[in-house]
Amino acid sequence: MSEYEAEFFQLFRDEANQRLDNIVDVLLALESGRAGGDALDLLFRDVHTIKGGAGMLGLDDVRTLAHAIEDLLESVRAAGAFPPPLADPLLRAADALRRHVAGEGEGTPDLLEELAASRASVVAPANGSPGERPAAATSGGAGSDRGRGIRVPAEKIDRLLDLVGETVLHRRRLEHVLGDDTGDETIADELDVGGRLFDELKDAAIQMRTLPLATITGALPRAVRDMAAETGKEVELVVRGEETELDRVILESLSEPLIHILRNAVGHGVETPEERRRAGKPERAVVSLSAVQRGGNVEITVADDGRGVRREVLAEAQREGSLVDVLARAGFSTAEQVTDLSGRGVGLDAVKAHVESFGGTLEARSETGKGTEFVLTLPLALALMEVLLVERGGRPFGVPLANVDEAISVSDALSLEGRQALELRGRSLPLADLAELVGADAPQLAPHAPAIVVSGGGRRVAAVCDRLLGEEEVVVKPLGPLLPTVRGYLGAAILGDGRIALLLDPSALTGGSRRRVRAGADASAPAENGRRTAPKVLVVEDSYTVRELQRSILEAAGYRVDTARHGREALAQVLADDDIALVLTDIEMPEMDGLELTRAIRDSAARASLPVVVVTSQGSEDDQRAGVEAGADAYMVKRAFDQQALLETVERLVGR
Amino acid sequence: MSVHVRLRVGAESYALPVEHVLEVAELGEITPVPGSPRAVLGVRNLRGEVLPVFDLAAVFGIERDGAAGRLLVAEHAGRRAGFAIDEVTDVGELSAPAEETESQFLRGAALDEGELVGVVDMQRVFAALQEGQV
Repeated sequence: MSEYEAEFFQLFRDEANQRLDNIVDVLLALESGRAGGDALDLLFRDVHTIKGGAGMLGLDDVRTLAHAIEDLLESVRAAGAFPPPLADPLLRAADALRRHVAGEGEGTPDLLEELAASRASVVAPANGSPGERPAAATSGGAGSDRGRGIRVPAEKIDRLLDLVGETVLHRRRLEHVLGDDTGDETIADELDVGGRLFDELKDAAIQMRTLPLATITGALPRAVRDMAAETGKEVELVVRGEETELDRVILESLSEPLIHILRNAVGHGVETPEERRRAGKPERAVVSLSAVQRGGNVEITVADDGRGVRREVLAEAQREGSLVDVLARAGFSTAEQVTDLSGRGVGLDAVKAHVESFGGTLEARSETGKGTEFVLTLPLALALMEVLLVERGGRPFGVPLANVDEAISVSDALSLEGRQALELRGRSLPLADLAELVGADAPQLAPHAPAIVVSGGGRRVAAVCDRLLGEEEVVVKPLGPLLPTVRGYLGAAILGDGRIALLLDPSALTGGSRRRVRAGADASAPAENGRRTAPKVLVVEDSYTVRELQRSILEAAGYRVDTARHGREALAQVLADDDIALVLTDIEMPEMDGLELTRAIRDSAARASLPVVVVTSQGSEDDQRAGVEAGADAYMVKRAFDQQALLETVERLVGR
Repeated sequence: MSVHVRLRVGAESYALPVEHVLEVAELGEITPVPGSPRAVLGVRNLRGEVLPVFDLAAVFGIERDGAAGRLLVAEHAGRRAGFAIDEVTDVGELSAPAEETESQFLRGAALDEGELVGVVDMQRVFAALQEGQV
């Protein structure tokens, strides 16, 4: 058997067993009279699929038996009712099928005969007696109780939701026109009735646009099994709340982020069976994916019972206020070895940005030794969004409420290197004019203007505006296919007074001030813990992952850290910032490599004696000599790279 | 000869096939969308719809004194856009057939009552808008 065939057989076995599980469930439900109206259809589909696959693979025993079952089911369908006693031979047939599928079955002439006999005994009852075919199942048994459905094109549903949106607007306008107090009780009562009807209509329309999470979770257990097999781990995926409904546009794009989080959990969160045994845990790890609806949001939690993140990381998360931000920024994973750079939490920032682009949030919790969990909070329906409306330059803007941490009044802004920051509960926060972040024209801000603290993409910014207009549930309208190249907006909303509020993408808001965040981090070193006087290390590295890893190690050890992506950028920073006490540089980089940088520093008048540590993947003696000749004080090889050696070298050179 | 809507943009005259024109309205309040291409004036609330509004003068690269006063709402392949124009001058058949010209957005040019009229190819205009080319 070729490898390809073997793989195909395995796929068939997996699928057949899955379908046999379904078949058994449905048969048991039929036997106990609690199956749904589509139970027979479900049986048919499963049996038919098994028959088809067996035919293609030449598994004649399986095909023959499946065919006999199909024939019997055909007669039952013609008769219009499933006699409960029929479940028994069918269950035995299912067992026999399972043995055949596993390659353990023998010929089953008796069973085939029995099935044929059962088929003959099925007679059409007069108009189907009650009880034999219950209208709908209520317990979570087999089959589905969705009733008879009709197919409706997605566009029609979207149109309906659009109209519901229009109704929201109409209602807002009406409220706007009438004001808070109509002074007429009859009108007020009618408005109340209208409000209730409207809410129901809205819910009904949203339900039509949503699909259960099960639509995308079907493939996950298999994916997790494969990931675990690749890494020599034993992992079971438990999925709960598959019936939870989500907007289908969100749902369709959620597969990849979920797989990413699961891959992190299996690859980094979960220990090897050996480690688990030593830690007194069951060898088989459990990763759970559960979904639950809370109000207008759906929470999806992916939790593992693995090693959790390291204590230093938790401590850093506590300082920063958000574990997911630390993980996303630093590309951290929960793996212990710092030497293994592959596949660390890299990409978590992308997951976070994706979730936020829908007006959702991503959070993480972890306990060292116990496990880690990620919580995705997503809006139930894309069309409606809770936003905080603010005004700047006479224009209203909306920011998803989920991304607004708080609103503050800006009294004393700090300024550092021409960039503004603000101290909030002992931590500094970059501060910027909303108009500047968005790129809008606006007059000067008044003193003591309000600001909203927005988090997005793992970063935060305090955006100053003219005034806060308040919270509102708005209908999100896309900017449309003709403005596809315009970035930074989730869409637009029409307000009660007819004005259009642009809905701002939080990640774009905070991303536009990425450099400010860095500057803020420097200013944040508050005097009370002495970090202001901590030596500053400049990390020069073109790989984001390595750069952030080094930054996190150094920051955890109490250093201040600046980063540069190549030698030229680094040189400019070195010459401009006297605080830099040491340079940690990679060799191979674009623009200017690490050796050139080292030489340039040695040749500079002002910083000729600045300590330089060269870190690189090149480990030959020649390279080392080149590094030393260029004037490096120390040379570290990446594959021997370990945290302790790095910190000792840095400490030695900055004389702490 | 098909019916065209004749309009003025700056000092120039253009004609749009009438089947693409949904309505002509006041320019109204336009919300600028920072970060959008040059020809985008912003979005406008048109009876509860968020309509992107483009400056037709900028699309065609025409110099114009002062602001446009009218909004022409056009549709192509199910997509709607508003165009800021100076005014609609006439609706009717062009008196002369359009002759082909070398132009990105014109189907041709017609000499109509002594005036040179550019006959706009809406498909090309919409395609350029969608690509963010203007």
